[in-house]
Amino acid sequence: MRETLADLARRLGGLALTMLVVSFLVFLTLEFNVEGVAVKVLGQFSTPDQRQAWLSENGYLDPFAIRYLRWLLDFVRGHWGTSTYYHEDILKLILPRLGASAILAGGGLLVMIPMSLILGVAAGAKEGSALDRSISLVSIITTSIPEFATAVFLSAVFVIGLGWLPGVSTMAAGLSLRELILPVSVLALASTGYIARMTRASMAEVMAQPYIRMARLKGASPARIILAHALRNALITPVTVIMLQIPWILSGVIVVEVFFAYRGFGTLLYQASLNADVYLVEACAMVSVLTVVVSQTIADLIYVRLDPRLSPGGGRHS
Amino acid sequence: MNGDGGSPHPAARELLGQFRRGEIGRRDFLRAASWLGVSGASAAAAAGLSACAPVHAPVSQDTVRFVCAVQQMTDPALTTWIEASNLFRNCLEFLVEVDADNICRPFLAQSWRPSEDLKTWDFELRPGVRWSNGDAFTTEDVAFNINRWIAPKSKSVNRTAFAALTGIEVTGPLTFRLHLNRPVCSLPEQLYAFTCPMLHRDFERMGADWPKTPVGTGPFTLTDFQVGRQASFRRREGYWGPPPTLRQIDYIDLGTDISTHVAALAAGQVDILYRVSVAELDLVRRLPQARLIRQQAAQTVVMRMQHDQKPFDDLRVRRAVQLAADNAQMLRLAYRGYGVVGENHHVAPFQPDYAALPAFKRDVTQARHLLAEAGHANGIELKLTLGNTQGRFEQDTAQVLQQNLAEAGIRLKLNVLPASEFWSVWDKTPFGLTYWSHRPLGVMALDLAYRSTSSWNESHFNDPQFDAGLDVAMGLIDPVVRSKAMAGLEQILQDQAVMVQPYWAEKFTAVSPRVRNYRAHPSDYFRMDKVWLADA
Repeated sequence: MRETLADLARRLGGLALTMLVVSFLVFLTLEFNVEGVAVKVLGQFSTPDQRQAWLSENGYLDPFAIRYLRWLLDFVRGHWGTSTYYHEDILKLILPRLGASAILAGGGLLVMIPMSLILGVAAGAKEGSALDRSISLVSIITTSIPEFATAVFLSAVFVIGLGWLPGVSTMAAGLSLRELILPVSVLALASTGYIARMTRASMAEVMAQPYIRMARLKGASPARIILAHALRNALITPVTVIMLQIPWILSGVIVVEVFFAYRGFGTLLYQASLNADVYLVEACAMVSVLTVVVSQTIADLIYVRLDPRLSPGGGRHS
Repeated sequence: MNGDGGSPHPAARELLGQFRRGEIGRRDFLRAASWLGVSGASAAAAAGLSACAPVHAPVSQDTVRFVCAVQQMTDPALTTWIEASNLFRNCLEFLVEVDADNICRPFLAQSWRPSEDLKTWDFELRPGVRWSNGDAFTTEDVAFNINRWIAPKSKSVNRTAFAALTGIEVTGPLTFRLHLNRPVCSLPEQLYAFTCPMLHRDFERMGADWPKTPVGTGPFTLTDFQVGRQASFRRREGYWGPPPTLRQIDYIDLGTDISTHVAALAAGQVDILYRVSVAELDLVRRLPQARLIRQQAAQTVVMRMQHDQKPFDDLRVRRAVQLAADNAQMLRLAYRGYGVVGENHHVAPFQPDYAALPAFKRDVTQARHLLAEAGHANGIELKLTLGNTQGRFEQDTAQVLQQNLAEAGIRLKLNVLPASEFWSVWDKTPFGLTYWSHRPLGVMALDLAYRSTSSWNESHFNDPQFDAGLDVAMGLIDPVVRSKAMAGLEQILQDQAVMVQPYWAEKFTAVSPRVRNYRAHPSDYFRMDKVWLADA
């Protein structure tokens, strides 16, 4: 028990350290050049004396280290400042956007996980079969096409060609499932193939194990072999991969959100960088890092749970 | 023949004579007469022209959905985005309007008259205009706005644009006088710049946050405003002019990707797009749900060289760049030919004060020769900074230039920055590609970009002879005489090889076929009060 707590403390410490390093890098990149910050906040047509006045009013003439510490302290206390582009409190701006992105990413995972597991298990259960080959082929094709291309392709077919689906997903009149179809499909298509391939490989490996052969020799039905004997062990790898996919989905979400004008965290980050909204970019970067680091920590914990050999006790309990 | 019953500017009579003798065209006559404060209708009547009958549509219950970035507009006079002005233009009005044909028309000011030296301008406001909060619109409002623009601490770009304006003198509740320190023939035009909306005199007392207290004189009222998402305007009762045809306008922010906008139009989710670029033209033409609108505009990209930076301090180097550039090819390849070839002097052939110069010929041999003379016999390395601020075509243009210059032994490196990064260096980089938006008159662009004292003089061009010539041209009303003065200015810019200015780019947009009476505007200053929707 003490070991588990110590491990958790170590993980949290690592998490905090990662955040600290990233925060320093973010601040260094965006605010080292104070003249640049003034141009971004006041606009490109401001004159040098206007900028100078703004810099001294806002404490920008202080040493870099002091400015960084002040910024860090404000950030920890939840004072994230005001967005120069949206003219709104950044915390208030980000939270609903994160919710919207969670809906999109969650929808993507909801489609992706069952589909990829079913396809992967079906393909891996009988390696080399026609079913395996066709599933593998489709998986490779969908995985190798990036989201921005899938989005254009699906939009050309279903919006401009057939006219079945809406072209943008602004959710102007509240949550609309019809508007979710295209973005969720694009997200799911990109990752389903990858996870299916992983599941297939893991499944094929398990199916070649002696205990499966034993079960088969005992006369167990194929369904029983797959569900009762193979599946549990075969899922260790895909579950880990799915957790590892979460940060990757985060980047995919940006592409998909921007393409479909979906008002989530991705478009917010994109707009912020396009408009040089320094404070918003900083906050978004920190939130992204937090998401990635937390999801990775959770993934580690799940992995340890699934595979006792990795626990801090070094497999003593097994 | 003038609007306020007083005696017109002496030049007005001369103009009428020129028009009757056929020395100037109908548009030139109307335009020049309007600068002199002669209203469009009376000028047309005096010249025996029939004024165009306005199209009347019934007042409807329609809502139009317009794709447009919804940007912060806390202080409309401080905005740096034309998109934002297209929102507040529904509520806030201007002293003068420059319509899509580039003609100046009375708006909140019903007439104006300059002194003979064009340094003192008398304006008279339209009577009976009321703010949406019930107050009367008076010269008090005008004085509040103009003093704000030109105050020493003003952060408005108007401080640069109205550098010649020394003050406003209120001469009555509806009359005022503007004082300039040099003649400016384009003063009325400048009053329709997107940063010049008339705000209520109590704007600052009401909190200086316009979307929170959206008081205006215009036909619509702001009912919903969410930056980055959407904004809505509703028809306002009690507007001083004819009531607008639409009941409501919804502005929807769909981000910056134009192909997304086109998809929304194809799916019937929106009715009007702000703009489409040359890249989407083929798609738009093929869509049955879209109607393409084209508009000629004096918008251009300028690849200017700073005269005080090495190696551009040598005229021979600048000249070599200019001679090696193939402007026609840049237009053909980077903008697919939708425009007019530029002549490296930033005045467009369709601007009223343009003067034709002898054709500029590409000459690679001469370019090589000049380079060798300047001590670069083995060629030279140059770096061009750009930001694709208006789209990919900027980079495409630069790439064609790269190929052109290679023929003369100039190795051009392209330094492509993100648009927002570019705006922090646009006036600092020695060799940069800058987009310049439309100006109704050529002389306006020259005054902003090449006068030695202008704060937007990005090429650091400094020529007393040019500045003096500008003063002369700015003081001339007569189009025939002024274009002669312009010829000299154009020649100086071309001879000094200040820039490669490859072409004048057309504007495009797409609307639903149901949209009626919507006009593109060369400056993207759209008016929505006459637009309506036909039945599906």
